[in-house]
Amino acid sequence: MNRGGLTSRLSVYALIPVFALLSACATNTYKYDDSPQIAVEQRAVTQQKGSFTVSTSVPSREESEALFGIPLHKRGIQAVWLEIHNNSSLRARFAPYSLDPEYFPPYEVAYMHRKGYSTESHAAMERYLDALSIPRNIPPGMTVSGYVFTHSDPGTKSFNVDIHYTSGEARNENFTFDVAVPGFVPDHAQIDFKALYEPDEIRELDIDSFRAAFEADLVCCTRNHDGTQEGRPINVVFVAKGTDLLRAFLRAGWTETASEKDDKLLLSIDYYFERPPDTVFRKKRDRGTERNEMTLWLAPIKVNGIPVWIAQVKHAIGRLLDVGEYFFGVRLDPQADEGRNYMLQDMWYGQSLLGFAWSATGKAVPQDSPQLDFNGNPWYSDGHISVLWISGEPVSLKAARGYKWDSPVIAEADSE
Amino acid sequence: MIRFSPDAPLRFGLLLAALVTVSCASAPEHPYADMETAYQERVVIQQGDGITVSAAVPSAEETKQLFKLNLYKYGIQPVWLNIRNERNDRVTFLPVGLDPQYYSPLAAANVRLRADRAVAPRSLLNQFFIDQSIELSLMPGDEVKGFIFTELDEGTKAFNVDVAWEGDFKTFTFFIPVPGLAIDHYEVDWENIYPPEEVVELGDEKLIEKLESFACCVTNKSGSDTGDPLNLVIIGEPLDVYVAFIRAGWDETEIVTKASAWKTMRSFFSGGEYRYSPVSSLYVFERPQDVAFQKARDNIHERNHLRLWMTPARYQGVPVWIGQISRDIGVRFTRKTITTHKIDPDVDETREYLLEDLAYSQALFRLGYVKGVGPVSPDSPRGNLTGDPWFTDGYRLVLWVTSEPTPISDVTALPWRNPYID
Repeated sequence: MNRGGLTSRLSVYALIPVFALLSACATNTYKYDDSPQIAVEQRAVTQQKGSFTVSTSVPSREESEALFGIPLHKRGIQAVWLEIHNNSSLRARFAPYSLDPEYFPPYEVAYMHRKGYSTESHAAMERYLDALSIPRNIPPGMTVSGYVFTHSDPGTKSFNVDIHYTSGEARNENFTFDVAVPGFVPDHAQIDFKALYEPDEIRELDIDSFRAAFEADLVCCTRNHDGTQEGRPINVVFVAKGTDLLRAFLRAGWTETASEKDDKLLLSIDYYFERPPDTVFRKKRDRGTERNEMTLWLAPIKVNGIPVWIAQVKHAIGRLLDVGEYFFGVRLDPQADEGRNYMLQDMWYGQSLLGFAWSATGKAVPQDSPQLDFNGNPWYSDGHISVLWISGEPVSLKAARGYKWDSPVIAEADSE
Repeated sequence: MIRFSPDAPLRFGLLLAALVTVSCASAPEHPYADMETAYQERVVIQQGDGITVSAAVPSAEETKQLFKLNLYKYGIQPVWLNIRNERNDRVTFLPVGLDPQYYSPLAAANVRLRADRAVAPRSLLNQFFIDQSIELSLMPGDEVKGFIFTELDEGTKAFNVDVAWEGDFKTFTFFIPVPGLAIDHYEVDWENIYPPEEVVELGDEKLIEKLESFACCVTNKSGSDTGDPLNLVIIGEPLDVYVAFIRAGWDETEIVTKASAWKTMRSFFSGGEYRYSPVSSLYVFERPQDVAFQKARDNIHERNHLRLWMTPARYQGVPVWIGQISRDIGVRFTRKTITTHKIDPDVDETREYLLEDLAYSQALFRLGYVKGVGPVSPDSPRGNLTGDPWFTDGYRLVLWVTSEPTPISDVTALPWRNPYID
């Protein structure tokens, strides 16, 4: 899966002499083509709250390169288009910080792309990017539009737009958008989840029968591609509509993965229900030394009409992720419960947790005699799985509720 | 809708309380927790709602001694905690509240591990690190202690300790200085910058006039040349200013020493992070800045710099500071200083960024604008001391900062000047 990253890096190196030549001459004229703007605006999504109407859209890499005349994505920059109408009689202020606390101002974007341009062309680029940026100030009754330069996200762009009144009493309106970006197809968009199971295969359960089904039927662990060896434990089960689950993950900073999976990966990957994961999400640490990976499978179960998802959250440790990992394999935290504990807190702090329960139906493996998964990585676990009910809309931290199933600590307390 | 069975009306806290660490499996000995080490003398204690939290942060050296591993070098900082539960219910400590990117004990123990190295599977299991980690779940009367492994912050370590129980939770906020850096403001005697007779008390009627009368710009040492515009006024006690900027994720600044010069040089060439790098002196009141803060982005060449000078003015007894903020957008070469940071010429954009940064970090409670340097257009910009152009609408932003978290919805904008209308 990292092969794309490697080759694109190699091709960048191949271009270095070309860039060197270009910067030596510094005679490029700044050119742009604003024709994709129509398509960008046509697919905008609109929300209305209070006195504000916000429309937004995210250009693809190609559209962005044409619109701004510079390859923003190579520097990790993604432009977001916004149009805001202030229908109130008060002055308001849009906060670019709400989209991305580390947004790039237009003059910085221009400076990052100055190489190869003459002074005049660079000045033209500065003026153009500045003119295309959305202003902060929104006078009463007016509409403003333009771009904010944000850090790139690999998949669906998930962001907030906050607008504050700057006169009258202190008030604000908050919008949340999840915008699909052309050119990136996340793996889950390639799967027809409705067609995974025949209608008569799906078991409709209530909470009590769901718990019983857990105890009777849950297979503890994933297996390798041909089913001959055991992998690592299933440690999280989600009860959520697919769209709500996606929103919750994006809100908590998980990123989607692309749909192509190469053969090598399919051989080393975990299988459940005799198939590779339906979808994979990742959450990476900024400094690139660690990462969480979550693989999900839709189960043939619904609880009170809501789908159930089987998940394995793994915590990758050590250095040399990405390319190194591709060649040498990944090191996983042997403490298999770490990913599960993290996920519960992550969903709770991400204000997506409606409720949760613990189930003791997993496989307990003591720390002093860890089990090896089919890739040779050790793991141990207390044998508990967390079951998380997820909301698409933000849930107050104090509103999350739980079921008394098998909490290890509760069991311990009961025996006291 | 999901319906919860009425006979199980458990609140989140109870089941969060069920979070178990491995350390639950066997009572850990914490062999080093009893060790007399210097960081234990710097323990900070907070109490509330029946919970007592003690916290301390070992320095780089102390960490190396404790863990036999230079964790700071790998960007990992252990935070020592002791939590006591005197409530009648079970409570749970939530590490994600302390650091959303905290390291698990085995991730910290194996930070030197490279993927290309063959490892015997069992050697990934480092019992010592597991024993040092803190338990998350506390029964009534319990006391737990141990380390949580976080992302490194030198200077001041700012963090929350969130403890949850059935139906509620409490947040304890700590700001703990970590020994090891020569931070600029540690040396400043705030009480005695000005002799008492020079201190001016301002009432509401004189305030705007006074704030507009401050110098337009910073100068060089001799005062013969002017540079960046003084486009900020901060009103707050030194502690409020410190807590506000730390809360908003700004880093403190080291003074120039042999060690800091070496670190600056190294990160300049590697483009790596040295978040506390000394900054050049700019002058107001014929002295260099009293305190500088900086906020690094991806590398040393991309960061925001902010310099503050305490003025002799007091508003309702609270110190008034004048300041300058600039956003480095890259490096360029100069004849005078060889290299310097290129600043974003649109200094108003940087000023408005700071307003949002402090407001979203809940460090601001009031703001207003007064006149400052006066308008400078992009077509005929002025230059700073290293020759970088800047332009502005000419206004000065006045920010009242606070050490008490204040929601953004409670921030008051004063109807003074308005850059967008005037």
